Order: sequence, then structure tokens, then C-alpha cells
Amino acid sequence: MADQATIPVTVLTGYLGAGKTTLLNRILSENHGRKYAVIVNEFGEIGIDNDLIVDADEEVFEMNNGCICCTVRGDLIRIIEGLMKRRDSFDAIVIETTGLADPAPVAQTFFVDDDVRARASLDAIVTVVDARHVEARLEDSHEAEEQIAFADVILLNKTDLVDGQELERVRQRVRSINGHAKMHETQNCDVALEEVLERGAFDLDRILEIEPGFLGEEGHEHDDNIASVSLSSDAAIRPELFMPWLRKLTAQQGQDILRLKGILAFPGEEQRYVVQGVHMLLEGDHQRDWKPDEARTSRMVFIGRNLDTAALQKGFDACAVRAA
Amino acid sequence: MATLAEEQGLVHRYGRHLSLGAEPTSLLWLGTTAAVALGDGSVRWIADDEDTHETPVHAGAILTACRHPDGAAIVTGGDDGRVCRVALDGTVTELGRFERKWVEHLVASSASGLIVAGVGKEAVAWIKGARAPSHRYAVGSTVGGLALDGKGKRLGIAHYNGATLVYGTNAGSGRVALNWVGSHLACTMSSDGRYLVTALQETGLHGWQLPELRDMRMSGYSAKTRSFSWDRKGKWLATSGDMRAILWPFEGKTGPMGKAPLMLAERKGTAVTQVAFHPGGEIIATGYSDGAVLLARLADDVTILIDAGEADGRGTSITVMDWNDEGTRLGWGEENGRVGILNMETRT
Repeated sequence: MADQATIPVTVLTGYLGAGKTTLLNRILSENHGRKYAVIVNEFGEIGIDNDLIVDADEEVFEMNNGCICCTVRGDLIRIIEGLMKRRDSFDAIVIETTGLADPAPVAQTFFVDDDVRARASLDAIVTVVDARHVEARLEDSHEAEEQIAFADVILLNKTDLVDGQELERVRQRVRSINGHAKMHETQNCDVALEEVLERGAFDLDRILEIEPGFLGEEGHEHDDNIASVSLSSDAAIRPELFMPWLRKLTAQQGQDILRLKGILAFPGEEQRYVVQGVHMLLEGDHQRDWKPDEARTSRMVFIGRNLDTAALQKGFDACAVRAA
Repeated sequence: MATLAEEQGLVHRYGRHLSLGAEPTSLLWLGTTAAVALGDGSVRWIADDEDTHETPVHAGAILTACRHPDGAAIVTGGDDGRVCRVALDGTVTELGRFERKWVEHLVASSASGLIVAGVGKEAVAWIKGARAPSHRYAVGSTVGGLALDGKGKRLGIAHYNGATLVYGTNAGSGRVALNWVGSHLACTMSSDGRYLVTALQETGLHGWQLPELRDMRMSGYSAKTRSFSWDRKGKWLATSGDMRAILWPFEGKTGPMGKAPLMLAERKGTAVTQVAFHPGGEIIATGYSDGAVLLARLADDVTILIDAGEADGRGTSITVMDWNDEGTRLGWGEENGRVGILNMETRT
């Protein structure tokens, strides 16, 4: 888990032409008093001079660790390590990915590499979606769907180019893929930057705001579409049951689970336990004390393909302390 | 009662500490002067009983440095894409400039006069005396590490899915592809050119015995290996990446194959991040993730505390460490900019 000393990293994804570069240029040019080291892809068109722009070449490496879907961005490991030699010269890191990039290797880099984890933490994945073209993109590209699925923050951009009916349809479509991300509807990526950058644990807490049952209720089409499943339990969760369940689940269905997040109340523990995962990779840690007025509800969100809501809820419930 | 030197390390009696204010990325000796390359782009010179002086060199961080083949200077590579010769007297000569690239690896040989830099997906070579790049070898992915043999001719280039061997002094050199799945990082070659060893992203080492190309796997590490040190006779390869220094035996026809490594200088709750053989060969210096430094004797694993590091968990990883050629001085530096120099001459 992120501790105070790690550098926050924001990842910008989005299909070609969605408006990533517009957002990046805003981040670099606005007077926010923060210094960003920016890692851009080699096809990027940054119009701003920034002291710390680093070209990345998106070298995706397979980890030779027996985990079939485990890929990392080798270039990011090198670059983050190199940047840390001059860490006094920036406050946070922004990574821009190419439009065709699968976000999983970027996210997995922050789980897999111990040296990166010790120095940097993934703050948020921000996905810029082109309201006008996203429906067509979702038809012809897996990446467009995965970029939405991986997002913590979604900018539904270019809303001025669609009518009200179309916008509502797109909104629903994006929500059906990822129901837990914070969504902003924008025209030239005009969102307050504090909604995008250095959000810390805030986005994790959003999973508590989701009404259980709000997602994925309408009959499951068993197709390849990505969907979100939200689980909750008012009874405390027993770690000795929960951990093996989650490990087994991700070992068996990790290829279909793109992301998972959870906030858990363990019996008799004053601190919230948080877990995060990407495919088969998991990490968890105690986060902070439960507030006195906070309901100790344990929640989990899964985003992926072929998720069986009923089976997941049943498995989760089986980890809960039984009523006496 | 224990003396200060016993409790906090010999450096308190026979050396000194300096705070350089930036992360040391290389520490190299020119005679009795230590050159410390820093994350702020400068080189700091530390000579006996003198105040340090500073040579600004790069616009960003110095990512790598090695001794210049002429022995009177160091060569530095920065995230500003420049390769520079930096002399003891403070003269800086630019040897190369690679726009928007990082220079992440440098090796050089006093035997051949060759200098090689790892710049993106290329190994760039300067032949003896060259003031500009002489030739380049492109590999399929970013260079993860470079190594030269004792003659300074055979060059190993580590990269994704293996390594490539060339004759670094020869622009039209043939190539030997050494294939092994994985991302290969830091690398080293035995002085006789019989072994190339790389460190893997997944931790552990991979080695090739040359010229037979026989594969060797050396696993069991808890962290990535970043530091290699050969003893003078080429009998042992010491490595970082675990709670103890791991020393692989390279004597005999098959090197470490089928043999157990020697494991030395364990320090509970920390990990070895740097290793450096004393030029005499019987003693090894080990630096740890908490800023501590020990000397360990190979024969019996008896250790001497050189530096206990800063108290109350303020210590940070040792990132650089080396002996001078005579073995009279040991220098080390940690992530937070704290540098220590042990001067063994003052003992006699």
C-alpha cells in the first residue's frame, strides 16, 4: 500500500483522438504550483516545454514467474527508478499511454516490481473517452473497453459533439463496463485538475458509495462484455476465510478479472483493510481506523468478463462472521 | 565498555561521513580521491583531509559513471542524454549527446581504451582516444546492462530475452545471441571472458559459459541483484540481492554449476544492496538496505562493523560502494546522500 513517502503516479489512457494530449497539456501549463515528471509515449505530441518529459517506448515484458497474464512495462520500471535519483525535482508523475495500449501492464508494474512499489504508488488511472466515437471503438477494439474498465476516473469528453439521447446511451454503456469510476462529462477535458491528480485513497472510498445491487442486476448476457460486480456484507469478514477465497478466485479467474478493489472490516480490528488487484496480482494492507460514525460495511468491486454475480456474492458471504 | 568504533563502526575512528544532499549514483576512485556522481547532475570529489569540491556536469541526474580508460578522469552519463569525460581538475569534455535519450549504462577498459554506453536500444562505442562515438550496436530492446572482459574487447549487452556478445572494438563485429526468456538487467563478465552473468527482473541470475553457451541458473534471491564484484583471481563472483552476500564459485571447468554458493555477512532484518571485494581478495565489503556497512572474511565469515548507519530507522539503502585500487580506502554512499569514507592507511 502507498505510504507517505511514495510518489503518486497518475496514468492517462484513452483511445486515439479522445483528448489525452489536451488534458496533459492542461496539467503541464496550469498554475497549480506542483511539478510533474511526465512520461509520454513516443507518438505523443506534447506542445509544452517541461523540464521533466521522458520518452517511453512501451516495452511490455512478460514476467517469467509462472503467472500467465502477468506483463509489466519494463520501460516504466527503468524510468521510475531513474527519476527517483532526482526525486527532489518533482512532486508527482504522470504517465501517458498510447491510444492502443492495454492498461494492464502499466497497472501490474505497480504491483509486481518491489523497487517501484517502494518508491511510487498508482494514484489513479484516468481514462479519456470520446463521447462521439466511443460506441464504434467499443465495437472494434478490446483496448477501448479495457481502458474504461481499468479507470478510477473517466472523462466522458467531447459531449458537445453528441445530442442528449446519444449522450445518455454512451453514459449507460460506459457505466455498464465500469460502475465504480468517478465520471466527469467534459468538452475540452475541462475538469478541475484536482479531480484527476493526486487523489490518494479517495477513489478507493468510492466503492462504499455504490449501492449494492445497482450494478449488473439486469439479466446477464453471457458474452465477452466487461461488467462490474459490487458485493457487500454488514457482518465482519474473517480474514482466515477471505484471503484463501480471494487467492483461489484470482488464481482461477484472474484472466477475466481486470481489476478488483475492496474495503473490509475484520472482526475486532479497528482499522479498515483494503485490497486491490489486477488480474492475478493482489495486494492488501491496513489503511486507517474506522471512523466512529462509519458503518463497518465490507465492500468489494470486481470488474471483468464472465463474472458470476451470484457466485461471487455467495463466496463473499461465506467469509462473513455468522450471526450468533 | 564498548567503544564508539565498536558500536557504530570503524568509520567513526578511521574515516569520515559527508552529507552530499543528493543520491549518489556512482562512486569511483582515482588514486586516493573518490569521485561521487550524484542525482543532482554534479560530481563531488573527496580527497583525504580536504573539503569536497563540486563539478557540475549534467542538467538532470547522473545515471551512470565509470572510470575513464586513461585513469585520470571519470565518464558520466545523464538523463540529459550526454556522455562526458570529467577530469580530476574539473575539466568537462562532452563525448556524445543523444537527444531525448537517457544514458543508463557505461563501461570502459584501461586495457583496450574502449568506452561503451547503453543508450536506449543501442550500445554506443568509443574506441581508444575517440572524442565522438565510433560505432554502435543495436539490440531489439532497451539495453539492461553492459559488461567487458579483462582485455576490454569482448562486450556483453543484456536486454529483454537474453544478451548479445560482440567484439566491442570492432565496428563490424559478428554477434553471438544468448537467448533466455525474461528481462535481463545488470550484467558482468569474468575477466577471462569465460562467463557472462546477468541479473533478472524476476530476481536471480542467469549465466552463460562461453564459448559453449552453456546455460546456468542461479536462483533463490529475495530481491533484484544490482551489484556484482569479482575477486582479483576470478575465483568468486559476489552478488547482492539477498539477506546475505551470495558468492558463487567460478573455479574449475564448470564454474558454479552444481555447486552451492558461499553465503556471508548476514545482517538480520536488512538486505545486502552492494558488494565490493577488497583487492586482496580475502575480504569483502557489504552494504545494506539500512545504510550499514560490514567487512566479512571469506575464510570464516567473521565480520567487522564499518558503519552501523544512522539510528532510528533513518538509514537508507547503500547505493554505491568501492575500494580504491590499493585497497587502502573504502567509499560508500546511501540513497539519502550520506557518504562514508574509511581510510585504512590512518591505522598504521
